[in-house]
Amino acid sequence: MTALSGTTIIETAERVCGEWTARLLADFGAEVIKVERPGGSPTRCFGPPLANGASAVFAYANTGKKSVVLDLETPEGRAALERLLARADALIDDHTPAWCARRALGPEDLTARFPRLVHCHITPFGQDAPADMARAFPINIAAAGGWAWHTPSESDDRDPPLMGASPFMPDFDTGYDAALATAASLFHQRRTGEGQAIDLSEVAVQLSRADVVLGRVLAGDDEPSHSRRRYDMGGPGRVFACADGHVHLIMTTARHWRGLLGLMGDPAWGQEFPEDWLEFHCTPDRVATFREHFRSWVADKPRDVITHEAHRRGVMLAPVNLAPDLFANPQYRHRGFFQALEGIDTPAAPYRMTASPARLTRPAPEPGADDREIAA
Amino acid sequence: MNGHTRGGPLAGIRVLAIAKVWAGPYTAKLLGQLGAEVLKVESTSSLDEMRAYGGLDIEHAPYFLSQNTEALSVRVNMKSAEGLARLKDMIAISDIVLDNLRPGAMAKLGLSFPEMQAIRPDIIHVSIKMYGSDGPLGQQTGYAPSFGAIGGVTGLVGHEGGLPEGMNIRFGDTSAGAAAAFAAVAALHHRERTGEGQQVDLSAVETMSSLVGDRLLEYALTGDVPRHRGNAHDALAPHGFFPCAQNGWISIVCEAERDWQALCDGLDSPALAKDPRFASLSQRLAHRGELEVDLAALTAAHEACDLGARLRAAGVAAYPAASSLDLMASDTFWSNGTYRTVLNGNGDARPVVGPSWRMAPGEADIANGAPTLGQHDDYVYRELLGLEEAEYDRLKANGAIS
Repeated sequence: MTALSGTTIIETAERVCGEWTARLLADFGAEVIKVERPGGSPTRCFGPPLANGASAVFAYANTGKKSVVLDLETPEGRAALERLLARADALIDDHTPAWCARRALGPEDLTARFPRLVHCHITPFGQDAPADMARAFPINIAAAGGWAWHTPSESDDRDPPLMGASPFMPDFDTGYDAALATAASLFHQRRTGEGQAIDLSEVAVQLSRADVVLGRVLAGDDEPSHSRRRYDMGGPGRVFACADGHVHLIMTTARHWRGLLGLMGDPAWGQEFPEDWLEFHCTPDRVATFREHFRSWVADKPRDVITHEAHRRGVMLAPVNLAPDLFANPQYRHRGFFQALEGIDTPAAPYRMTASPARLTRPAPEPGADDREIAA
Repeated sequence: MNGHTRGGPLAGIRVLAIAKVWAGPYTAKLLGQLGAEVLKVESTSSLDEMRAYGGLDIEHAPYFLSQNTEALSVRVNMKSAEGLARLKDMIAISDIVLDNLRPGAMAKLGLSFPEMQAIRPDIIHVSIKMYGSDGPLGQQTGYAPSFGAIGGVTGLVGHEGGLPEGMNIRFGDTSAGAAAAFAAVAALHHRERTGEGQQVDLSAVETMSSLVGDRLLEYALTGDVPRHRGNAHDALAPHGFFPCAQNGWISIVCEAERDWQALCDGLDSPALAKDPRFASLSQRLAHRGELEVDLAALTAAHEACDLGARLRAAGVAAYPAASSLDLMASDTFWSNGTYRTVLNGNGDARPVVGPSWRMAPGEADIANGAPTLGQHDDYVYRELLGLEEAEYDRLKANGAIS
């Protein structure tokens, strides 16, 4: 028995954002039935193909689910979906409003036929968006939501904006909000028997994530502009190359500064900086001078040794970890962030829970793996 | 005083937020946006730092006002024994206690999870820490960019051939806050089913890893270490940002063959449509560099907004990269509730960024902005805790409420 045991969720999603939403709910024991088109969901070939032709992003976003193949272009397929919805608690979808309308799967249609159902409709700009904004890829979402324009920090006008860490990253942020809104509505359903239509905007997730930065612009505390640096904080922090990789430094207080000087063995050049320069005298010249010195000092230092020592001295110098570092990380092992599925360490959830832990129960299904059980 | 019948799916749930700066208050805000009642614990001697950013007036602090929508402020001096005793009374009437203090700080106050369970057996404690609440590295703390560096995001963000520079420095806190809010609601489900509370122990670093979990799994499956690659997509081309007039940029993606033809049409370039180097997706992937150069030459003279509208009308996923001015100027966001105006405790109306969802029939009202310090003292101490006026005055006089 865990948090969502006994809850049945139908997933008609065909993008990563909807799939990830349903996976987050499956982690807590919901029965998630993935409805796939004949031939399998298009997401099965998203991302870099693995040796066996499978997709890592599909494998990641679809653990713990059942799969049933239905052709929603046929009356039989739609009738089968209708039967599933009649016994389901929630639906996760990420198609365009037009796609849903053609199949009578839009918010109003579903509320009318299944008043107890929680149905979450994920779209790029929300249900009321202009028709030409109904289709967008995650990089478009990062663009429209402002993070790409301001990434990385200290962007130059001549450099293209960046999408983030992968072509799918905004989908995962979207999924957290969609799973939150769905789980909250399921909670309300549990208490009252009432359903809910949820209209989730992917771009609004990006805007919400920038609330204190963008909010000051909206309120006129901060001048809106086309500057690529409007989200920046100033200060000397950034990524530096070290002997065997990269480190990230952030430094905002006199205490950080003293700690860093100690870490570097109190170099003479450090005396040219006022003790409280980070708080009160953080000029571009000083930042540039500091970086020049620090860049050459850190260039031949081994990453893990220097970041460990920095931590001991209260300096926020962090390793820029790559995938192998995380699989070997003792804190990740302690917390069980990776859970084995058929012998493969698979990223699980960032929250440990004492009574209803998130669990990976089975790998992503084959298309139609559960046809027989679900049709029965 | 309270007017706390805002509706929403979490109506009736009370969250006691002992939370500062960004990640913790953001979690509280999301739960509040779903209808939970959020009691924000503050004190004059231990302010949320956000009240001090951007000016000297703690009631007009831009960061704080941008964030603490629908929070109710109650003053508790946790350094006073009587203040701490009243805080425990608040725990007894709360469903969720949310904290993002330093690791170990709650235990020092006598508010470890078992101690909170002694006060209220079915309490849900949501703990938000950089690296989690215990374990070999559990004492480490850091700011948002540290989360991204340690969690594997930073190493995957950068221009090809450049340093892995990471996301903008502001990225990280809010994603961690959203993951914590979701886990908190899962815990509410568990309590509703079983009567059992629990501790939710969130790692901000692991939240970052969950946003790149596909890349981590790719490594586990292949042994190839993923690296930053600009805006490249392994299976789609074009996929990236292309220059426009006045330093603008537009994101363009083509998936199906018809997208590519529509792009060539939209750019009025029959030559591109016929170019054998770009005749199929596999050809375009093989000649990605040349493709990007040729496309850039065609996009560079256009205004990003005009080009986006034109290409989308042709069926291409093309959206300008939005600056803060573009975001501010969007009629869509102002009209559809993405931005909305709230009334602060200080009496001012203020636009804020709203939630990413709309709901029917059960959306929570969002009308109130950030509270003034102690604005809801009366409500919490008199109405919720039922203190007599004399006792309430005594606690204010002796500094327990300050």
